[in-house]
Amino acid sequence: MPSVLLTESISVELGSREPWPGDVKFFQPYLMEQILLPDNANCLAVQAFLKMCELHFTIENRWNAEYMSPSGRVPFIKCGDFLVAELDSIVAFVGAKGISLTAELTGTQKAEMRAFISLINCVLGNAEIYVTWKDDTVFNEVTKPRYGSVFPFPLNRILCWQKQKKNLKRLSMLGWGGKSLEEVYNDIESCCSALSERLGRSLFFFGEHPTELDALIFGHIFTIFTTPLPNTVFARIVRKYSNLIELCKAIERMYFERREPELVP
Amino acid sequence: MGTVHAKQSDAPRSEKLKTHPNPNEDSHHRSQKKRVTLEGIRARVDKIHVDGLGRTKDDIIIETVRELFKAQDFQDVIVGAHTVRSRLEALGCFRNIGVFIDTSSGPDSTPEGLEVTFHVHELKRIVGGVNTLVGNNEGSVVVGLRMPNLFGRGEKLATEYSYGSKRTTGFNVCLSKPLRGKMHSVFSTSIFQHGSEWPPSGYKQIERGLLFDLGFSSAPNVKHNLQWEASWRDLSCLTRSAAFEVREQSGPTLKSSLRHILCVDRRDQPIFPSTGAYFQLTTEFAGLGGNVGFFKNDLTLQGNWPVLNDVVLQGAIQAGFLKRLTNDQIVSICDQFFLGGPLNLRGFDFRGAGPHSDGFAVGADAYWATAVHLYSPLPFLSTRGAFADLFRTHIFVNAGNVGNFNLGDDYHENWKILSKDFRMAYGLGLALRLGQMARVELNYCIPVQIRRGDQPVSGVQFGIGVNFL
Repeated sequence: MPSVLLTESISVELGSREPWPGDVKFFQPYLMEQILLPDNANCLAVQAFLKMCELHFTIENRWNAEYMSPSGRVPFIKCGDFLVAELDSIVAFVGAKGISLTAELTGTQKAEMRAFISLINCVLGNAEIYVTWKDDTVFNEVTKPRYGSVFPFPLNRILCWQKQKKNLKRLSMLGWGGKSLEEVYNDIESCCSALSERLGRSLFFFGEHPTELDALIFGHIFTIFTTPLPNTVFARIVRKYSNLIELCKAIERMYFERREPELVP
Repeated sequence: MGTVHAKQSDAPRSEKLKTHPNPNEDSHHRSQKKRVTLEGIRARVDKIHVDGLGRTKDDIIIETVRELFKAQDFQDVIVGAHTVRSRLEALGCFRNIGVFIDTSSGPDSTPEGLEVTFHVHELKRIVGGVNTLVGNNEGSVVVGLRMPNLFGRGEKLATEYSYGSKRTTGFNVCLSKPLRGKMHSVFSTSIFQHGSEWPPSGYKQIERGLLFDLGFSSAPNVKHNLQWEASWRDLSCLTRSAAFEVREQSGPTLKSSLRHILCVDRRDQPIFPSTGAYFQLTTEFAGLGGNVGFFKNDLTLQGNWPVLNDVVLQGAIQAGFLKRLTNDQIVSICDQFFLGGPLNLRGFDFRGAGPHSDGFAVGADAYWATAVHLYSPLPFLSTRGAFADLFRTHIFVNAGNVGNFNLGDDYHENWKILSKDFRMAYGLGLALRLGQMARVELNYCIPVQIRRGDQPVSGVQFGIGVNFL
């Protein structure tokens, strides 16, 4: 959720007077060696959103993207002098410039969209963090080597341990600390089935054109079924919902052709 | 020490001297003082007693006092006793060392024999204190706990917590052990955590690390320190509006470096010297482990010449050069050189001269700065009391330059590159000495050569610190 500080809303206000510059940069960690499941989902979601809005940007991969970000989370964009991080803030920033994907939605639909976005962030987002940082197999085989790959020994161990502590604390504050892996799978199952039911047979959630909800679903679902993890249950659950998979493939076709090979499922 | 006044032998003093019957001397009278020359009076030390030892081990005491046995005559004994006393003090185990010299008596005594007794008081096991410390333009409060003479050979364990006026905090645990040998070497190791904020550059850093240090003197006044330091630095931006160039350097880096510090101090005193020169060269090689790699040199040279009665002319140069090693190794903004501030280039804000991005100083790979001062004591004072002696007035000219210079092999070309666009300021001011270590300055500065992007200070500038240019 975006943190609404006075300075941030002022900067969004100021930024809105200028049109979208040609040299906007999008910062994320290194894709091949470093990025982890939750961050990858968020980065893809923001990229999909910006492409849907037909806003041009260049991707910059940095080992310290997470530390450079004003909120401490990736991705973030540099738009002139402004730095905006995370999907919700970026949607608001872009909206203040008069660009919106939800201009034709009714009030009810917008509320429904926000509810689904909230559902995805709470369930899929936290499930990804759970699988990455709390599940022992995944943590030892995937997370530790990837997170520490950009740091020298012994910093890689120390920082990974610090980050794990932080994430576990966050999970337990949100009530996910006591959940077992089974319960997490059930939660993912119910979230996906709710989304799938709402989507039905249409291609996108609201009408003919995608919205930020579709971008967010793309980010999470696509990352889940394309990231190889030692624990494949997560991917298998998601693959069952074929309409969600169709949505992801459509967005990939429309906006992400000519991508790096690692995204091909 | 060629002559010593000999007084009546029952004068109540801890240091008693008895001379041998000198054929040139008349009989002693209470009020009579005669000059007695001690050269040529043969004497030797028969026994040395060290009184008051508790936990201090015998071997280091024996090694410290052993040289007194080499004394051939009385003057040697006096001078030697004084030297041994200062060496015992330097061990850091004792306070209050008294020396007592008497003729030797007893079965093993020789006719010219002397017995020297050192009365020592060992320091307590734990000593604590609250001090103030003066650092780079800030003052801090230090709460410390020390355990001197831990295992009996002068080892010292000290922990300190400091809080500074510029919101720097530090925590330090240090264990030091003097090593035996001619070069008075001391080995120390410390673990530290130090947080500091640098608003002119827009970042704050937390530095945690481990340091091993071997200090020794290869000649009188020449001190060496060989260090290995591993430090984990975590940089983050202070404000949202920090320059992007600084923001790009946020994050953790690990520096593992070897450092050699050579220091030659021939001045008569560290603050307000009137004569002598000072030279310090720091060479640092980072890159054995960690992801930071560079080769850095930093030089300070100062010379003092007395001109008129109490007027001193001082010239000083500071220069530094950093060379990056490979492309994968990072050089962080906290390793760069900065110029400006009351401690190096007066007339400019702290870090105010040099490359700036959006108003924030980003530092550079090389710098040089020179200053010429004329110091004099407070004028118009007929009496020079101790208080007035703490002050000096000075007029100065200082100049410097900082940047990423591409130096080649041609001296002439290099000189042109280094002196292109240099900064200069002059002024006058008042300096006050704090103890023997630190100095406070209040100057009126007139910057005369400024470059675009610099932050000069025209007018009054205040500075407090230890090493001034």
